[in-house]
Formats: sequence, C-alpha cells, structure tokens
Amino acid sequence: MRKFIVGIMAAALLGLLLAGCSSEPQKEAPKAETSKATEQAAEQATPEAKPEGAETKVGFIYVSPIGDAGWSYAHDLGRKAVEAMDGVTTSYVEAVPEGPDAERVITNMARKGYKVIFTTSFGYMDPTIKVAKEFPDTVFMHCSGFKKSANVGNYFGRMYQARYLSGIVAGAMTKTKKLGYVAAFPIPEVIRGINAFTLGVQSVAPDAEVRVVWSKTWYDPATEKEAAKSLLDVGCDVIAQHQDSPGPQEAAQEKGVYSVGYDTDMSAFAPKSHLTAPIWNWGPFYTHVVKSVMDGSWKSESVWPGMEEGIVDLAPYGPMVPQDVRDKVEDARRKIVSGQFKVFAGPVKDQKGEVKVPEGAVAGDEQLLGMTWFVEGVIGSTE
Amino acid sequence: MLRVVKRQEPLKGGTPLIVVGALALSLGISMLLLAAQGKPAPRGLFLLWDGAFAHVHSLEDTVLKAIPLYLCSLGVAVAFRMQVWNIGAEGQFALGAIGATWAALHFPDLPAPLLLPLMFACAGVAGGVWALVPALLRLRLRVNEIISTLMLNYIGILLLDYLVYGPWKDPTSFGFPLTREFSPAAQIGRMIGRIHWGILLCAAVGLALAVFLKRTRTGFEIMAGGAGARAARYAHMPYGFLVGLVMVLCGVASGWAGSLEVSATLGRLQPSIMAGYGYTAIVVAWLARLRITHIAFYAFLLAGFRVGVENLQLELQVPHAFGGIMEGLILLSVLAGQFFQNYRFRRAEG
Amino acid sequence: MLELALPILAATVQSGTPILYATLGEMLTERSGVLNLGVEGMMIIGALAAFVVTGATGSPWLGFLAAGAAGALLGALHALACLVFQGNQVVSGLALTIFGVGLADFLGTPFIGTTVPGFDKLSVPLLSALPVFGDIFFRQDALVYVSYVMPLVFWLTMRRTSLGLAVDAAGEHPAAASAAGLDPVALRWFGVVGGGFLVGLGGAYLSLAYTHLWTSGMTAGRGWIAVALVIFAFWRPGRAVFGAYLFGGIMAFQLRLQAMGADLPSSLLLMLPYGLTVFVLAASSARGGGVGAPRGLGVNIEPQE
Repeated sequence: MRKFIVGIMAAALLGLLLAGCSSEPQKEAPKAETSKATEQAAEQATPEAKPEGAETKVGFIYVSPIGDAGWSYAHDLGRKAVEAMDGVTTSYVEAVPEGPDAERVITNMARKGYKVIFTTSFGYMDPTIKVAKEFPDTVFMHCSGFKKSANVGNYFGRMYQARYLSGIVAGAMTKTKKLGYVAAFPIPEVIRGINAFTLGVQSVAPDAEVRVVWSKTWYDPATEKEAAKSLLDVGCDVIAQHQDSPGPQEAAQEKGVYSVGYDTDMSAFAPKSHLTAPIWNWGPFYTHVVKSVMDGSWKSESVWPGMEEGIVDLAPYGPMVPQDVRDKVEDARRKIVSGQFKVFAGPVKDQKGEVKVPEGAVAGDEQLLGMTWFVEGVIGSTE
Repeated sequence: MLRVVKRQEPLKGGTPLIVVGALALSLGISMLLLAAQGKPAPRGLFLLWDGAFAHVHSLEDTVLKAIPLYLCSLGVAVAFRMQVWNIGAEGQFALGAIGATWAALHFPDLPAPLLLPLMFACAGVAGGVWALVPALLRLRLRVNEIISTLMLNYIGILLLDYLVYGPWKDPTSFGFPLTREFSPAAQIGRMIGRIHWGILLCAAVGLALAVFLKRTRTGFEIMAGGAGARAARYAHMPYGFLVGLVMVLCGVASGWAGSLEVSATLGRLQPSIMAGYGYTAIVVAWLARLRITHIAFYAFLLAGFRVGVENLQLELQVPHAFGGIMEGLILLSVLAGQFFQNYRFRRAEG
Repeated sequence: MLELALPILAATVQSGTPILYATLGEMLTERSGVLNLGVEGMMIIGALAAFVVTGATGSPWLGFLAAGAAGALLGALHALACLVFQGNQVVSGLALTIFGVGLADFLGTPFIGTTVPGFDKLSVPLLSALPVFGDIFFRQDALVYVSYVMPLVFWLTMRRTSLGLAVDAAGEHPAAASAAGLDPVALRWFGVVGGGFLVGLGGAYLSLAYTHLWTSGMTAGRGWIAVALVIFAFWRPGRAVFGAYLFGGIMAFQLRLQAMGADLPSSLLLMLPYGLTVFVLAASSARGGGVGAPRGLGVNIEPQE
C-alpha cells in the first residue's frame, strides 16, 4: 500500500515538473522559428558566408535572475531589442556572482565568439578589464563602473534625472512634509538617487525631509514592504523606493498614501497610490552600441546618457497627479533635456550642512559616481 | 510486492557503479525536462560535459571552483564524524576572508614569504575562533550547535558587509563596497595554467587530515567519537576537547578557503565572495559519506556541474533555475542510489 | 510611546507568522524523528502554489490549501529518499532546498509582475476594540488568526491524542514503538508530509497575505530561520510562538529604528535578530530549561528482515 502511495506521489511530482516545462515551448517556439528563418535568409543572401560568420553574437551577463522583475529584467528587455535586429543573435547568463565566477563566465562568452559582451553590474568591472586583455577583438561594455581600456567601454544612465522629476511629483503631493525612501544597499547609485529625489522634493517643498531605511535586500518583498510600513509609522505620507519588488507600493496603498515606483511602471500593484516611477529603457542604447560595433564605428569611451537619449524616463502619471504638477515636471524635464538645468548644481550641502557643491558650480561625473553622502534634508545613515 | 532486504555485505566495488547509475538516472530525467521545453536534450548533455570537463580551460575552471569547496568540505566532514552538526562553514569562510584581509591591509609592505603565512595565520585564527564559539556554547551552556552555527553564519556575513561598506572601504572605489586591492605580495600567483598555488594547500590539508584521522590516537577517537560522550569515557581525551578540536579544524579549513578566495582569485575583499560554499560543503561531505579520501571527487564533480550548467544557459538559454533543479535531482538520486550498496529489493512471497 | 510601540508589536505578529507556520511544520517532522533541511524549498514552492492557484481560481483559501499540498508533495519526496531509500536526511533536505528553490524560480517566471487578490486586513468584531491587545492581535488578516489556533491544535494533538503520542514514539524510540504494535515508518511519513503541509502554508502567507506578489527567492532565508527556531523552541509549540515573534519583532524593530533616524550602520542593526536568538537560547539553556532533541532524530529506521 505504501509503495503505491509513493509511486503516485513521485508520478504527480514528475507530472508537475513536466507540465511546468511544457508551458515554455509555446513561448520559445516562435522565437526559435524566427531565428531559424533569419539564419536561412542570411544563408541565401550570402551563399559563401557561413551562418555563424554572418550573425553577430551579443552576450549579456546579469547579476540576478531575470525573475527579479527589476534591474536584470530591465536589461533583458534591452537585450530583446537587440535580438530583434537583423543579423544579430543574443544570449545571456543570469545570476552570476560578482566574484571569480564572473571572470569565468565572461571568458567563456568571449571564447565562444561573442562579438559584443555587456556586463551589467558594478562588480564585473575588474573581471571585465582582466578578460578583455586576452580577447582584443571582442568589444566589452561594462555598466555602472569607471574603468575602460582599448576594447572596454563603460556606460550608465543618468537615472538621477528621472529621480529628481519623481521627487517634484512627490514633494507636491506630500502633506506631512515627511517622505519615506526604502533603499536596497548603500552604494553610490542608490545614494545618488536618494539625493536627486530629495532635491526634487525640496524644489517644491523646501522644508520637507526624506527618511531612508535600508532593507539590505534587492528582492525580498515582505521585508521591503515592512520597511515601507516602518516609514509610514513615523508619519511619512509618500513612499519612494530603490528596490526591485513592488512591496513598498502595496504598503502605501494599504495605508492610503502615495508612492513612487522604480525600474518599471508599477502602477498595476498600487493603482490608487502609484504617482509615477523613474524607469529604465536600455533598448535604444543597446541597439545603438551593437550597430556601431557592426559598422566599425565603435570607440572605447565612457558614456553616461540621460533623459535626452530616452535611457531613463518617468512612467505615466497616476490620475491623482494634478495638471499644475505635471506642468511643473514637464518644465523641469525640458530644462534637463536641453542641458539648461543640472540636478546637482550648487549650492548643495550634506547632512551636516557642509557645502559639497559650491554656488555656481555643478557636480562633475566623478563626484556623482562616487557619491557617499546624503544631501541636507535626508534623515538616515549612509552605511 | 517487493521487500527491502539488507545485504550481508556492502555491494563489492559498488560505489562507482552506483554513482554512475544515479548520475545517468538524474541526467536522464533532466534531459526529459529539457526536451519538454523544446530544447535539444542530447546537445544539452554534451554542453554540460563540454563546459565542465572537456577542455583544459574548462577543467581549470572546475578545479578553481572546487578548491574552496574542497577545503570547506574537509572541515565539515571531520566535525560530522564526531556528530558535531556544524553547519557554520559559511560563516567561518567569511571570517577567514576577513582575517586574511586584515593582515593584507595592515601590512601591505611585508614581503610575500612573511605576509602570506601571516594572512593564513590570521585567517585560521579568525575562522577557528568563529568555530570555537559554538563549541564552547555547546559544552558550557548546552546550546545546540546547529542553531548557533547557523546564526553565526548570518552574523559573520553581516560583519563582512559592515567592514567593506564601512571602515575597510577603498577610498578610490567610488563608494562601492570593496577593499583596496591587495599588494602583489599578498596575492597568491598561478602554478599551472590558471590554477593557483592554493591547490597545494588543499593537497597538504587533505593529506594531513587523512593521516591524522587514520594514524593518530586522537584521530582515531574522533572517528570513533561519533558514538558520543558515552564512548568517549573510555578515551584518553576528554570529549569536550575533541568537540572543540573538530570545530576548530573545520574553522581553520573553511577560513583558509576564504583566504584563498580573497588572496588568489580576487585580490581584495568584497561581499560577493560569499557564494554559498559553506552550505554546498555539507552536501559534498555527506555524498562522500564523510570519508576524507572521497571528498575531492565529489567536490570536483559538484564544481564541474555548476560550471557546466553555465554553458547550458549560454548556448540553449535555459534559465539559471534549471541548474538548481538538475542539481537537486542529481543529489537525490545519488543519495537514493547509495541505498543499493547496502540493501536490495527482494520479491516477497505472498 | 504607545503610538510607536503598537505598530511595532502589530508588525511583530505579522512578520512572525510565516516563520511560525514553518517552524511548527518542521517541528512536527522532527518530532516524528526526521530532520528536514528542505524547509526553504518547501516554503517557496508553497508560496508559488498559493499564488498560482489563487490567480487561477480567484479563491485565496484554495490557494492557501494548494500551498500546503505543494509543501506536502515536496515533503513526500524527502520521505521517499529517507524512509524508503534510507538516504541521509541532511543531504536529502539540502537537495530539497536546492531543488525547490530552483523549481519555484523556473515555474514562477510567467507570474512575475502580476498580482492576485489574497488576504486583506480583517478586524475581529469586539476583540479588535480591546485596548492594546485589539490593536496588536485582532486587526490582522485571516491567516494570522489561523496561526493563533495552530500551536494550540498542535499541542493538543501531540499531547492528548494517540496519534500525537505515536508520532512522538516514532521520533523517540522507533524500535520500541514498533514493538508496541505501531508502524514507525508510517508515522514518519505522516510527520514529514504533514510537516511539509504546514511549511507550505507559511509560504502562502508570504505571497497571499504579507504581500500579494510573487518573485523568485521571496522566502529570503525564512525557511532556515524556521529550522533554527525548532531547536530554539526545544521542540515545543509554545516556545515556537515565542521564538517566531521574537525574531519577527526584532526585524520589525530594527527597520523602525532606522526609520526614526538612528545613525547606526544597517549591517550592525541587522545582526540583532541573529545574535539575540543565540543569546536567549543560551540563557534559557543555562538555566536548565533546555530539552534535547527527539532521540531518534536524524536516524533512519533500518528495514526489518
């Protein structure tokens, strides 16, 4: 009898597995066909050339599973845009730790003839530089770092511009003049975002404060929601986040206050509270880079495009955002795009009141990249 | 109906047969899963092999990945021999990395022959002390070591976080959580190909432990110590001393694994060195049935699997999670396979 | 003071609840004599099953049960490995965690970025009007209320029913249990599968009540905490409640400490729950309150000729 139960359970489990897997091919199949079709097309067009030589292989390395719905997911949307280009195939490896594993994965990609390799996390910087020396014919693009070499360029997006705009919206909507910010890890990218958000808030509500709670996670919705609730408990009435999960959005909606998302449009999770969200849009940039490599115009440089290139943007406003606030934001957006306005234009003081960017000056990229201090008006620790 | 019957003697020369059979079974299921996703299954199998073992460079990758795993597994196996349920190798690994980094950052100007031993000494002490705490808690306060070692893992990793986000952060790292790069004297170089000298340390530790356990009286008592405090009454070493000893041995071995990671492969300390070797080591130790001489094989096998799966991701766009599913299946079937070494099914009458 | 303390205590109950379910589940498994380190894997499979079934049927309660069933199914795999194939319980449990986390991530990809109805806050009439207690305990969601009953049912079953006593016998001394005419292997099957059911429910709490979302890795180590808390609780349900709330409480507290503007490194604050767990355990063990594990824990039952 027991044997029988065991058998049933094992069969059920296997069935579950297979059922789960078989739902995949429906999604994969059309893609496989199209890539086959393009391969055939390439073969017909240039009968002499091998299909492998005809296709430019582009590789991506992600620090987390695409399933994180955040950072890596946004990059993968960019990859899909590249995949849609003619004569290009792409692949990726996800959840690659930033240590020795990264070096191995990058090397293997280069060895397999990938022509362009995007390494999309700060910790991949040293491994990328190291591997690039051994593969001079491969182009490497590293995201969010500061090193480059003959065949390594680096790039990032000026997310802080969109953060600033979202700060304007948040600052206009707060009543208590206390805003909460749930943040992942105290690294410059996150700190810069908090500062830009705060400056945006202060541009419409000069005496408002922004309170920061570090969750020390990228995707733990329960903890991140709890962190948002802790901010609501001390009187914050707008919640912003640098987290990949919409946990904080839910907390805001349950409490009946407003929220600002991140990464992608998160309004589906909190339609009543989602004001807007600063979002990534890597597609145009990635296709541009791949195109330039294919036509030979690629040069090693540090590129840090912003709103003018559309690499960062704001998600659509929620219905509760009044027209005059929208106008104010659009006005600021125009000035940022035209270069008339810089987010970190002096005077900018830190938490202690010390002047970090003097009047009349603008924080340089170097200072922005290595930002480890909070601007005045932020309450929280930078460690 | 089938009945389970214990074999009179363990199946002779059965181990290789069982491992191969279990691997074949789990790989077979994995291939079915691949096929169910519309991926070419035989090619998947080839890619797994190709990525892990088929080339010099893939063998190098596998060995490099196996090194920290091997050291941690040795330590874990010794502790488990004594029935000390130490799952703290992860935290001891972190502390070892911290200890080695402390030495490397504070004495950057020492020549390599002095600095490297100092780093390993510090790593050993840090890892050892981190392991001694749960031993003392168990002996003095009867605190179960599973819980204390697990909690100390979290604390050790957070301590590492604190240091690289705070006091040890490289001022030139643009605020990213990394320490300064170590001076060349603090970095272990390559021996053959891309394999660093740390492999000699592995060989030495493995050999020393095997000899210690087989040839010395204390070692013998550890091997017999599994019987617990009651058996130890007849031993010439106090039971408490042995518990402390195996914990410290594990702490030192795991600590050295941590120091190899910072000194030989990264050249600096950063949070991402914590890749879960300490937990995987438990699996390796048990698969080897706690036999020191078998650990190298299983560490190599598991490392190879993890390396090979990346190839599968890259070439077939199989999600990362698929690796976890396959690994789980392999472990479960090797485990179930070991059953046939000691038991067999017999048709029951009636 | 009370305005600050009440939300922390209410949050304590909520963040302790998923851990409490999982701790009770693992406790049942261990009391039957089987160690299952696969809690993290069972929990996350439970979270996914709850989310998917709720999305498909629109009924969170069905989702809740589905989570239990999924946890039980994974538990059955552990039972198969350990009780039939005599596999080592430590390896099998770890393999289950690796397998479960991978499987959930794999199957869950299409559900990322979606949301389901789930359980919302539901004040209990009358009780929620109680001063202090009402705010802390009776303005929660339905699954929290279920979790109040759970330890009591657990305790009564183990203490007062022949089934509970038999499970304990299988965990303490399987040979004696067998001699007394019980079937210790069957009892262990019950312990492992039933425990898996409860662990799965804990996962459901994360994806249906705590949040209404699914992301890969959303258990974030809570399964491991549950394994630790079973030991912390000396295998007794009452202390499991204490342990789960202690842990949840410190987690909620450290976040609020940050929100209030404490200028302390967050890494050090995060050490609090782990350090304090060991400290409290040491203190209660030193006072002689400690109880050993079930004597048969982790030891497989040899098949009889």
